[in-house]
Amino acid sequence: MSVNQTSWTAKFLAVVRYEILWNIRKKKFLGMLVVAFALTTLSLAGGHIAQAFGGPPVKPTPDFVIKSNVGLGGFGFFLFAIVTAMNTVSAEFESGTIVPLLAKPLSRTTVFFGKLFAAFLTLLATYGFLMVYMTIGGFVVYGPQNNLHLVPLSLFGALFSTLVWISIVLLLGTVSKSSLIAALGALGIWLGTTIIGSILGALAGQGWILTYILGTGSSGYANGGLSPLGPTGNGVSTGTDSIGPNLINYILHPSWEVTYYKINLGGTTPGQILWERLYSEPLSTIILTSIAVALIYFIVFVGISWYAFRRAQITE
Amino acid sequence: MSLAIETVGLTKRYGRLTAVDKLDLRVSASTIHGFLGPNGAGKTTTIKILVGLLRPDGGTVTVLGQELGWDKPEVRLRIGYMPELPKLPKHLKGTELLDVYGRMCGMTKEERKKQIPELLNTVGLSERGSDLIGKYSKGMQQRLGMAQALLNKPKLVILDEPSIGLDPVGMVEVRETMKEILKEGVTVFLSSHLLHEVEEVCTHATIINKGVALASGTLREISARVSGPVTIEAEVDKISKAVIEKVKELPFVTDVSEDGKKLLVKLKTREDVRSQVSQAITAGGGIIISMNLTGESLEDAFMDLLAQRKEGRS
Repeated sequence: MSVNQTSWTAKFLAVVRYEILWNIRKKKFLGMLVVAFALTTLSLAGGHIAQAFGGPPVKPTPDFVIKSNVGLGGFGFFLFAIVTAMNTVSAEFESGTIVPLLAKPLSRTTVFFGKLFAAFLTLLATYGFLMVYMTIGGFVVYGPQNNLHLVPLSLFGALFSTLVWISIVLLLGTVSKSSLIAALGALGIWLGTTIIGSILGALAGQGWILTYILGTGSSGYANGGLSPLGPTGNGVSTGTDSIGPNLINYILHPSWEVTYYKINLGGTTPGQILWERLYSEPLSTIILTSIAVALIYFIVFVGISWYAFRRAQITE
Repeated sequence: MSLAIETVGLTKRYGRLTAVDKLDLRVSASTIHGFLGPNGAGKTTTIKILVGLLRPDGGTVTVLGQELGWDKPEVRLRIGYMPELPKLPKHLKGTELLDVYGRMCGMTKEERKKQIPELLNTVGLSERGSDLIGKYSKGMQQRLGMAQALLNKPKLVILDEPSIGLDPVGMVEVRETMKEILKEGVTVFLSSHLLHEVEEVCTHATIINKGVALASGTLREISARVSGPVTIEAEVDKISKAVIEKVKELPFVTDVSEDGKKLLVKLKTREDVRSQVSQAITAGGGIIISMNLTGESLEDAFMDLLAQRKEGRS
């Protein structure tokens, strides 16, 4: 027989290749890439557009790139997770392509982690491209940039944040074997954490709970205080979506203390908003907690997905 | 003769439905073994167990000498499998699919470079290899499904209804391909509901219904097990009493009747006795125009076995 017992790595890379060829040809992924590119372009050109319409002249902004977070925020991470992972396992079941794939001499573990690694590589290439574009564009539009050596942290944070969302999309898709349930279920979770997060954090004063839930997390302020109009200082989010910016902030400002506030509606006069200081914590604690939370979610969700995939019987 | 597939007491249930019921299947190596049964007989379920897509609820499965366990890819290294109406990733080109599947099978670059164009040529897709599978017709996807099953030069090829969706030329080509790979010592396990296809290419067969094997062996052995009588239909010019008497004298004849120009001779043997019947007709002064043996085909055996099963006689 001419076929050799080749290494696990070769077979793993074959799955990665199979999956990447799919990822880069998905219309929804290409559409999302175009949207992200357009938004990054808009972010770069925003100052000049405003100037053209009578706004203030564009000034050199040396911190533009480092504060841009690869041009993406929480919803961007979530959307990239959806377009990358909603079909990864479930669509194989829906289309029936899982049958010839799993009949190949590959273990299901190889197939599963090959697919996951392909999602990681696809995101790495996408975010890497956006980061390079944002860095060059920022340099051209806003002049020489500070702290560019920290930009890879932004990339790392964006990847990590998206992978947490990917793990939940993958879990829903693997267990339900439905891309629609994967996408809508994840959207429900995103909306839930965002809406509930706002209520819990701002009104109920229970924002600490959000530290342990994936997503945007709780909002606080560093290097500021409380003015009659509300809190001042640098906004900091505690959630798994903010790992990149928080890491950069920590390296630049290691002593930052983040303070959280609660809104009390109905003060002494009708419609008055009163801000109440709750508690403070070091930025280092926030980073460690969010990384640990993200890791735990990722490992648990991926672990359950892997277990379900290994045991799945192909009745389709 | 060694066995390519052996199942003992193989059982698979879907809830309360028993799809495969204590199936004992023995497929000899280097044969084309037909797996026959009506829709819902348990053919595809059995095949999915053989290739590791379903987990059996009972029994043992040995493929190419290795006992099948859950998620044991090393067994599949020597199996080529073409699913019924194969669903292949539409975002890949024909050559890309074979290339990536070849990598998954552990083929080297040189092997893939040599094998893929050959296979595409064999299945008549050499002109369309660079097109996306999404643009292929059903028949073309079926052909590509056949190509991917043969990619890793398997020792056992499992084909689940390979002729569905193919035009008559494609069907003939599939059968020719099966005969060709048999020459290389490969075992072909062919699930089909096309009796004439099985009759044409298979040396052995197993008939299954409601998850139970009704008969297994060579095609002749299966036919011989069937109780229905074999009849010779002879078209004879001028059937006379003398002709009928001469034929009746033959020891293996149970009944002789006329149907227009046809002489219907019922036999109690399954041996081919056409030459003796021919001699008797000629001796009685008859002139034979044509002669056919009916009731010994696989189709007859198949229908009879299913009828027996329905009546509760097995």
